[in-house]
Amino acid sequence: MSGAKIRLEEHRIIEEPYYLAQKNEVEIACAAHRRGLPLLLKGPTGCGKTRFMQYLAWKLDRPLITVSCHDDLSTSDLVGRYLIRAGEAVWMDGPLTLAVRAGGICYLDEVVEARKDTTVVIHPLADDRRELPIEKRGELLVAPPEFMLAVSYNPGYQSVLKDLKPSTRQRFVALSFTYPAVEQEAEIVCRESRVDRKLALTLVKLAVMTRSLKDSGLPEGASTRLLIQAGKLIEDGVDIPSACRAAVVEPLSDDPEMLAAIEDMVASLF
Amino acid sequence: MKLPELTKRFNQIVAPDIPNEWDVEEMLEPYLDQSDDVCQTIFWCIPAIWPISNGLCRDFLKILPELLGFVPLAQLPARVGEILDCYEMQGLRAAQQFMRSMESRYQERGNGSGLVLLGEVEGRLLPFIRGVAGRDLMIAGGNAVFTDTETIFLPPELAIYPKSADNILLYKLILAFQWAFLEIGSFTVFDSAEQDFKSDPEGPLWLTSFFSSCSDPIFARDCYSFLETVRAARFLERELPGLMRAWSALPRIVAPPVQEADPRATLLLELQAELLNGSLLQIQSQSSPTVFNDYWRRLTCEGASAVDTVHAVREVLAAIFDGKEDGGSGEEYPGISPLIFQGELRLTAIEAVRRQQFLRQGEELVHSLALYLAALPQEKLSQLLRSEEEKQSGASGLESDVSMIMDSEFAGTVDEHQAPLLVTINNEEVELSGEMAEEVRKFREEFGHLPGRFVSSAVGRAGEGVAPDVQPGNEQGGALQAAICYDEWDYRRLGFRKNWCVVTVKDLPDLKSGFIRQTLGKYHGVVNRLRHQFEMMRTTDRFVRRQRDGDDIDLDGLVESLADARAGLAQSDRLYIKLLRDERDIAVIFLVDMSNSTAGWVGNTIKESLVLMTEALEVLGDRYGIYGFSGMRRTRCEIYHIKDIDEPSGDVVRQRIGAIGPREYTRMGPAIRHATSLLGKTDARVRLLITLTDGKPEDYDDYKGEYAIEDTRHALLEAKTAGIHPFCITIDHQAHDYMDHLYGPVNYIFVNDVRRLPLRMPEIYRVLTS
Repeated sequence: MSGAKIRLEEHRIIEEPYYLAQKNEVEIACAAHRRGLPLLLKGPTGCGKTRFMQYLAWKLDRPLITVSCHDDLSTSDLVGRYLIRAGEAVWMDGPLTLAVRAGGICYLDEVVEARKDTTVVIHPLADDRRELPIEKRGELLVAPPEFMLAVSYNPGYQSVLKDLKPSTRQRFVALSFTYPAVEQEAEIVCRESRVDRKLALTLVKLAVMTRSLKDSGLPEGASTRLLIQAGKLIEDGVDIPSACRAAVVEPLSDDPEMLAAIEDMVASLF
Repeated sequence: MKLPELTKRFNQIVAPDIPNEWDVEEMLEPYLDQSDDVCQTIFWCIPAIWPISNGLCRDFLKILPELLGFVPLAQLPARVGEILDCYEMQGLRAAQQFMRSMESRYQERGNGSGLVLLGEVEGRLLPFIRGVAGRDLMIAGGNAVFTDTETIFLPPELAIYPKSADNILLYKLILAFQWAFLEIGSFTVFDSAEQDFKSDPEGPLWLTSFFSSCSDPIFARDCYSFLETVRAARFLERELPGLMRAWSALPRIVAPPVQEADPRATLLLELQAELLNGSLLQIQSQSSPTVFNDYWRRLTCEGASAVDTVHAVREVLAAIFDGKEDGGSGEEYPGISPLIFQGELRLTAIEAVRRQQFLRQGEELVHSLALYLAALPQEKLSQLLRSEEEKQSGASGLESDVSMIMDSEFAGTVDEHQAPLLVTINNEEVELSGEMAEEVRKFREEFGHLPGRFVSSAVGRAGEGVAPDVQPGNEQGGALQAAICYDEWDYRRLGFRKNWCVVTVKDLPDLKSGFIRQTLGKYHGVVNRLRHQFEMMRTTDRFVRRQRDGDDIDLDGLVESLADARAGLAQSDRLYIKLLRDERDIAVIFLVDMSNSTAGWVGNTIKESLVLMTEALEVLGDRYGIYGFSGMRRTRCEIYHIKDIDEPSGDVVRQRIGAIGPREYTRMGPAIRHATSLLGKTDARVRLLITLTDGKPEDYDDYKGEYAIEDTRHALLEAKTAGIHPFCITIDHQAHDYMDHLYGPVNYIFVNDVRRLPLRMPEIYRVLTS
């Protein structure tokens, strides 16, 4: 198991990640951790869910194991499987098992993308039993108090077909994430991309404009992440309009009129 | 071409309603000496216009020789499309005008004048202003620039600058300024110093009464409007610096200084010019009276509001009329035209919109309030009703009796938003909670107060059991649903004929007949086999062996690989077993051609096929709908409902299949479009549209030949764009001639022997979906 130890250490977050709390989410998450409750984060893309988890893992000093869910993710991808090595069948822990054993934080990103039968394996872990049965080994792992399960999903763009089952939902402490308030978001952009505050504010204004286009055919507006990327390009010497076009306008849409409209906003703001 | 030939072709096109001979001659006369190319093009255009409007077609033919002088022949179809669009939007007269103005339009474009049509750029302007404003403003073309707070009216075309990019910029500038007026509160200004004005959402705005109270209302309005434009410009410099910079880089179109006799007009015109050349706020302007300088100073610091402008207007008026008796030497102030981005100040339009909003939102509020009150305990409600009745029978005019919503005693304290709201109806108090209170609060914030009559009518409605605007039961009556309009593709015009086909959905009578029993008996063995076959296709979890990775070890693979290793062969790495889940998530619509030609045994075989198909599909569990289609002319396209996608199958559905019978013609386009819209509403991963037909698309009117084929093809393309796989089963022997073009070579199947269709169809479906 020394191999697993080393791998776990890679998941430990040494330096403090930058995270600006929007409300009292950090306190709630810490309390949930103390009480052994699982966490559900929901919010639009690029608004800081993953960063929040990193920050939480650092604050709690636990390794963070992130699994990006997809529709082929099977139970054994999470729990583990037998592998053949040199003619022998060797058991290999999956990320979830690894996190339970080590008392780490297991973060299932975009959990609704996973197959329905897969999400069920987290059920016994996510209620007061806090245990993970590994059927193939006949083992029942009981999670240590430090272990925490966190899942995230984006309620914005998934279809009705991909919704969390109520039986899954109702096991979690849920935190709703939105884009931060203008001032806060500007500060985040400032801090992450090192552009000056005035520029950051204008970038945020652009993002706010795109976010109000929901009914005009843009399903999701520019995220904080896009703004930071734009800021980074600008800091690297790219001129502002080009940086905005490359980092904000083009990623948002393929519709030429929508692109022209967002481009107009950029031109109007800077 | 010679006249007889022309006439003959023309008559062929417009048949059956052939105009008088001399009429035709007159129409075609100009084309006698035209080349064959031109005539071809003309005969290409006529069928696109004639069915839409005969009159328009006559006018078109009259004006066409002129048009050909400057419109290249190749561009003509596109221009025809524009003309028809214009006709459909604004009618015949507008279309005639449009045709006449085409020449100047063309010349302008040719000369590099950057004419920009609103229609061309609306698609980008709308999201632009909505994004900037953060709410759903509308854009519309109008004869003047102004806003009624919901819609911004723009000139339908701009050609002020020689470059079209600059004209687009001007459009954006107009939008930005109109938005700025909304944002800085130019229209909702209210001078709190005036106590006697009572704000009433249904009455005039405070501004209206302010202007009329001035000694020179029109000058006051122009002055206010201009000063607010300056303030809006300041606002935009802060909010949209890029736009304002781009604007200041544009060459100034300053109107030559008109020598106005009236000093007031001269003053404003000079100021306008200064605003345009940017000198207004920078230098201490010489021309303006000192009151303006005061105002500019106030503008430079943040927080200047519309009230400041109102004061400035008062001061300007006072300064001008100071020293003059009876208000400016009796001369009438002529009024000036506003700057293009400034637009007009149309207070009446704003008032109308505000009234509408008030009534609309009031109605919504009344409705939810009534629901809320109706949910109250019975005795409380009846108490309320009693006191309401007493009030109405008694002295009704008493103000104090009016139902009101008041804040409870917590009002004004720190947590006003948590305080419960009380509705006092006469002397009965009802506490509003949660969402309802929030709604009431919002309404009052928006409109100042909640009139008592709203509360009264809510109480009344609650007593009647709520909801006068929801009348259940209406939709169930009659087999006929509301008609739906669909566009039709005209290949000559390369555009849609708007709302061309009227589709009505009808129910087939449930016909009690022995047809189904007979069919099931006849195909007894086949049905059993089909059931078995289709059962095998149902959702299965299956293990796939010998995978590179998987959930478990594949022992066979492992043994083999170890044996290989012992034997000194290369080992396989495919040692795992994987669980694959094949979920069938399919929705399918069968469109059955019910044209006249299917009479007799052809129709019967189609029905038999459907019966077998439904048997198979019931086993399979795929969602499916069946519709028949037929009709005559564009105004009567009929869709016969046999089974909706989510409707359970049963005897009724079978009886409806039995009732399928030959009707009229085969107008395929609207049927396909209707099916597309139905399939669009399902969430299945695979969506299929299977058409069963016995021949070409054809209708009684001009829906024939190439037109019909092209429209059908376009409808199928639309279906494909919507993520639907169209497929066709045909028994037409000539099918290969046009089906390749319609569906593509692999997406249709021709069943040679009609009698085999019932057996083939489930097979075809099976192959299609597995």
